[in-house]
Amino acid sequence: MSAREAILARLKGPPPSAAAAEALLIAPERPVVDAAALEAEFLARLALPSVSASHDVIERLEQLPAAVARYLAAHGAAPTLCVPPDPVLRTCDWSGLTLHDHAAPEESAALAVARLGVAETGSLVFETGPRAPMLPNFLALHHIVLLRVRDIVAHLEDAPLAGPQPRAHYWVTGVSGTTDIEGTYVRGAHGPRFLHVILCRD
Amino acid sequence: MSAFTDRADAALADPILKTAVERTAGTAEAKRAVAVDAFPDFEAARDRAAAIKDHVVAHLGAYLEQFEANAIAAGAKVHWAQTADEACRIAIDICKAAGAKSVARSKSMLGEEIGLPHALAEAGIGRVETDLAEHIIQLADERPSHIIWPAMHKTREQVSALFKAKHRTPHEEETIAAMAESARRELRGRMLGADVGISGANFLIADTGAVCTVTNEGNAELSLVPPRVHIVTAGIEKIVPSMSHAVHMLRMLARSATGAALTQYTTFYTGPKRPADRDGPEEMHIILVDNGRTKMRSEGLAEMLRCIRCGACMNHCVVFRQIGGHAYGGTYPGPMGAVLTPVLDGLRQSRDLASACTLNGKCQEVCPVRIPLPTLLKGWREKSWREGLEPTSMRWGLGVWAWVARRPALYRLGTGVAVRALRLLGRGGWINALPLAGGWTRHRAMPKPAARTFMTQYREQQDR
Repeated sequence: MSAREAILARLKGPPPSAAAAEALLIAPERPVVDAAALEAEFLARLALPSVSASHDVIERLEQLPAAVARYLAAHGAAPTLCVPPDPVLRTCDWSGLTLHDHAAPEESAALAVARLGVAETGSLVFETGPRAPMLPNFLALHHIVLLRVRDIVAHLEDAPLAGPQPRAHYWVTGVSGTTDIEGTYVRGAHGPRFLHVILCRD
Repeated sequence: MSAFTDRADAALADPILKTAVERTAGTAEAKRAVAVDAFPDFEAARDRAAAIKDHVVAHLGAYLEQFEANAIAAGAKVHWAQTADEACRIAIDICKAAGAKSVARSKSMLGEEIGLPHALAEAGIGRVETDLAEHIIQLADERPSHIIWPAMHKTREQVSALFKAKHRTPHEEETIAAMAESARRELRGRMLGADVGISGANFLIADTGAVCTVTNEGNAELSLVPPRVHIVTAGIEKIVPSMSHAVHMLRMLARSATGAALTQYTTFYTGPKRPADRDGPEEMHIILVDNGRTKMRSEGLAEMLRCIRCGACMNHCVVFRQIGGHAYGGTYPGPMGAVLTPVLDGLRQSRDLASACTLNGKCQEVCPVRIPLPTLLKGWREKSWREGLEPTSMRWGLGVWAWVARRPALYRLGTGVAVRALRLLGRGGWINALPLAGGWTRHRAMPKPAARTFMTQYREQQDR
C-alpha cells in the first residue's frame, strides 16, 4: 500500500457538505470598516506603526511619473526605477526617470500595480502574471505601489479572485521587518525598507 | 534525575537566558493583549476558529484529496509521507534529481520536526536558513527555542559575536539594526543563488490547491521565487476548505503570535511558474506529512490538530518563561510542545513534560483555537501511570497515600501532624526548604499551611 493510500485509509469518513463549510463563515468577527469611507479607512491603516507606509494622491494616471520622481528625490534615491511590463504604465511619460524591467540583486526602487487595497489591514493585493513579476517587489529597497482608489475593498475576504488562481496571490502589509533579535523591530530585514503607496483617484 | 530535569536545572541557573526569554515573551504577551482588546468579540472568533479546524479534522481525508486534485491541476506534484524519514527521503530525492547543491529554507517547524536540516547535511546539500532567527540558530549550531522567535534565547551581545565570527562583512556598529543589515548582506546573494527553495505551509487551501506562507521578513518569497524548484513540506492538518476560511485563521494567527492585524507578507502559491510568467519556480512539489497525525486523530488527541503554531501558549506559560524552550528537549516547546513531544519522541522519553505544568490554564485561555492543553497534558500523566512509566518512588509514594486516604481517621491524624510540622518550617508565611524534598523547594516556595486542617475547622463549625 502506498503512503497515500495508507494515510487516506486511516482518514475514511463521510465527505464534508459544502453547506457545513459555508456555515462556518456566516457573519465572521472582523475589524469594523466604514464602507462609505474606504479611502480614509485604508489610509488610516497604512499609517499604523505596524504598516508605516507613506502615501501620495494623484488625480490622473499621467501624474504617476511625477509622483514617483518626487518620492525618489525626497529620499535621495537615484532616478532609476524597475517597472513591470504593464501596458497601463507604458502609457505614461517617464522621461526624467531611467526605467528597466528586470530587478537587480540590489535594486533601489521598484514600481508595482496593486490589484486591490484592503481597508481592514492596509494591505496591498498583488497577483503574478506576464505583466506582473513578483521578485522586484521583494528585492527593492523602496517598494512603490500604484493603487486606484476604486480598487479599495473593505475586508480580506474580498481580496481573492474567484475561479482559476494566478501562480502567486500575495498581500503586502508593510515593509520587510524583523523582531528576531531581542524582540526589537528593525525595518528592511531582507526586502523593502520603505513602502510608498500612490493612490490614483482616476 | 532525568534529562529534562537536568536541562531545566541548567536553564534556571542561567540568568542571561531568563532575561532574554522574558524580554521577547513579555513583549508578545503585551502586544497580543492590545490586539485582542481591539478586536470585536475575540472570544466568538476563537469559537469559530476551533469550529473550522474541527470541521477540517473531521473530514480530513476528503479535504486532502480535494487539495491534491487542485494542486495537481495547477501543475504541482503532490507526495505523501507517513513518517519523518519518508518525508525527508522524498525531499532529498527531489533535490538530487534537480542536481541541487544549495537549498534556501524558509522557517518551517514541520521541517524541524522531520529533521530536514540534518537530512540535507547528510546528503551533502548546502542549506541556508533565511529567516533571521533561523540564520542565527544555524550559525550557532543550535535548535530553535521558540516556534515564532527561534533565537529568543540569544542576547544581542551573543548575536553580535556570532555574526562577527561568521559573516563575510560583519557589522561595525553595535546596534541591532546594524546586525540585521549584516545578515541581509550575507543572505541575499545566497537566496538568489539557491537551486531549491524549501518552505513549510501555514495553510493548504483545499478548493484552490494553494499553499499559504506568512512571514514578516519577506524571506519566504525571496527563498521560493528565484530557485528553479520549490518544495513544500506540510503537516496534513494544515488544510482549510477555502481562502475565506484561511482569512479567519490568519486574523487569529497574527494577533495571537505577534499582536499584529496581519503579517507583513502573506502569499498563496498555486503551482509552478506559468508559461508567460516572468519569475517563479519551474517545479513545485508538495509533501503531505502524517508523522503521527492520523494516530493523534484516532487516539484522543484530535483537538491538538487544531494547532496553528502561533506560540501564544508558550508566551503565557509560567514554566516556559522560567526555563525557555531548549529545556523541553523536543522540536516544539511550551504547552503545545509538551502535548506533541510524547507523540513524536515517545512517552517514555518525555513523560516529565506533562508533569512540568502547573495546570494554571493560562495556555488554554489564550489559545486561538481553544485547545484544552491542560486536559491533554493530564491525559499524558494518566497514560504514563497506566503504562508503568512513573518512577518507583512516585508509585510507592502514591500507593502509601492512597492506602492512608482510604482510612479517614488515620488520614486526619497524619495531616494534623504534617500541618504542625510544616508550620515549624515556615518563615514569614512561606516554606522555602523541606527535609528530603530539597529538589522540589530549590526553585519553589510553598505557602505556610493554616494552623489547623480543614477537617478540624469544619468539625468545630459543626459543633458550634
